Amino acid sequence: MKSTKYSKKVLEHFRNPRNVGTLEGDDVAIGRVGNPVCGDLMEIYIKVKDDVIEDIKFKTFGCGSAIATSSMITELAKGKTLDEALKITRQDVADELEGLPPIKMHCSNLAADALHDAIKNYREGRKLEPVVDVPAKPCAIPESREIIGLEKFLGKGVYFTYGNLEEFRDKRVLVIENGEPSIELAIKLTEVTGRVIFMTPLKRILASSELKTKLKMSDVKVLVEGELIEVLGDNTVEKVKVHDLNEDTEYELFVDAVIIP
Amino acid sequence: MGKTIYLDYQASKPVDSRVVEAMLPYFTEKFANASSLHTDGDIATDALEESRQKIAEFINSQNPREIIFTSGATESNNLAIIGYALRNRRKGNHIIISEIEHISIHNIAKYLQKNGFEVSKVPVDFYGTVHPDKVQEKIRDDTILISIQYANNEIGTIQPVAEIGEIARERGIVYHCDAVAAEGIIPIDVVRDKIDLLTLSSNDIYGPRGLGVLYVRTGVMLTPIIIGGGQERGLRSGTEDIASIVGMAKAAEIVQETMEIERKRLTELRDYLIKNILEKIPKSYLNGHPKNRLPHNAHFRFDYIEGESLLLSLKDEGISIATGSACTSKTLEPSHTLISIGLLHEEAHGSLVVTMGRYTTREDIDKLIKVLPKIVEKLRKLSPLAD
Repeated sequence: MKSTKYSKKVLEHFRNPRNVGTLEGDDVAIGRVGNPVCGDLMEIYIKVKDDVIEDIKFKTFGCGSAIATSSMITELAKGKTLDEALKITRQDVADELEGLPPIKMHCSNLAADALHDAIKNYREGRKLEPVVDVPAKPCAIPESREIIGLEKFLGKGVYFTYGNLEEFRDKRVLVIENGEPSIELAIKLTEVTGRVIFMTPLKRILASSELKTKLKMSDVKVLVEGELIEVLGDNTVEKVKVHDLNEDTEYELFVDAVIIP
Repeated sequence: MGKTIYLDYQASKPVDSRVVEAMLPYFTEKFANASSLHTDGDIATDALEESRQKIAEFINSQNPREIIFTSGATESNNLAIIGYALRNRRKGNHIIISEIEHISIHNIAKYLQKNGFEVSKVPVDFYGTVHPDKVQEKIRDDTILISIQYANNEIGTIQPVAEIGEIARERGIVYHCDAVAAEGIIPIDVVRDKIDLLTLSSNDIYGPRGLGVLYVRTGVMLTPIIIGGGQERGLRSGTEDIASIVGMAKAAEIVQETMEIERKRLTELRDYLIKNILEKIPKSYLNGHPKNRLPHNAHFRFDYIEGESLLLSLKDEGISIATGSACTSKTLEPSHTLISIGLLHEEAHGSLVVTMGRYTTREDIDKLIKVLPKIVEKLRKLSPLAD
């Protein structure tokens, strides 16, 4: 079966998703699952009154089935008690949508998990901030481990200091976070190259709101929750290995230069 | 559903009606086996050899014997790389490919690695260009083969083929070039570009599917990977599909006549599309080289949205189009091409590949320009990643 061969019901929910949006208030809890790196990120907002889900909204980044399952779960959960809502399974969502392609059953059928997460957060009184526009707050910086290959490529793609920005002209540059000067450096680099990635192990950028706005307006690509673990290449840097701290997975990123200010 | 707007020419092209017409007699009255010695067999043999001659001219091969018919580009790539590596192992054990090769080349290289060969991959820049000096860096004393594509099938970047050919020839290394993405729109010349092995596909020049060609320069020795009755100089056994071969030759003939005009027309259409999309959609980007790219290819990415959602929405508008998103692949991995140019996974997920062709009109492109900004806006409203 093709991965995009969807039922009529899935397509209908994809085209006209129900309950899109966010909710606010003391009686609202958020559930979040997925990771944009994997192509799916889902947020479910529930507003609870007398143990009943009075209102529910969602925001989803993902493929057709990710959007359809989010939409469907909001319909299934609305008006249910928290206990009833906890009983809704991934299979229920898929069944209500007249089935999902087998390959999508796992990866894009996360809506039930997001709902359960929201209920859990509500019961534990946990306030989860939405992904968008969250005020900066410090979070635990993961223990750093030794980065493999730094010495081998020193001056051949790895830089701790930088003299002339021209050295980076038209190169793909990865700047590793180290306070506000590193953000300023990343922004400055966009004058000489179209590809600057700024990577931080944190969940979000810590900086003055002025600098954050400047970063957002710039052409710098920001990568959060990423940790540099290895620099690879033959004679010069060809790529790096990144540890995705959220998913606890590793992946390769092709760059020409790494700056660790 | 009415007629769709087809913008996925890299995946499949319609067979030209003139090609179908040329093929038809070879299914019925001219049906014989080219290996047969009777008069009917001679008719088939003549058709086969005339076609071989036309294909040879198409890529400026000096001798039609250098043209080997296969079942398609994938088989041609297998025959070129596995066939050459196995036959020439005593010369060396090392093969070079680029990070941006077609998936078949990557998997063939993996197969050879499992069988004791060593493979180096040349990195590309952000535009997807393989730099000749980087190829030079990977060459070792035991390098026997370099396989680098003519142009990239996904992001459309054209490679410095002549320079790579020069380097390979100088070092006595055989150069294989997968020309499938470029054939029919860029004039190919195996002599000028010093190419030793070249892969072609019939469908990519509006010929029938299920047929490919491997050009094998005189003097380059291969081991066959399909063993049988010894057709195609023993390099590719199996009764030749004369109808398809005649069809491909006809397709090559048509393409040669129209290439100049088509290239100009599609380049204008492509630049018009790119300009409009990048202007009308915020946070949209072009993947691949801005200028040095295939005339029929425009590859975009859009922040905060996922490619399959885009594809489905465009499907609702009657537009057939492709994405590099993992959600549409068999492995759920994002395109290795997009990763090799340095994109992050989430960026690769939000890509859209427009490939135009012979029947693409200005109206088709105008429709895309009209609907795409609205679709992107709608999907961004749903996305927790957008502001």
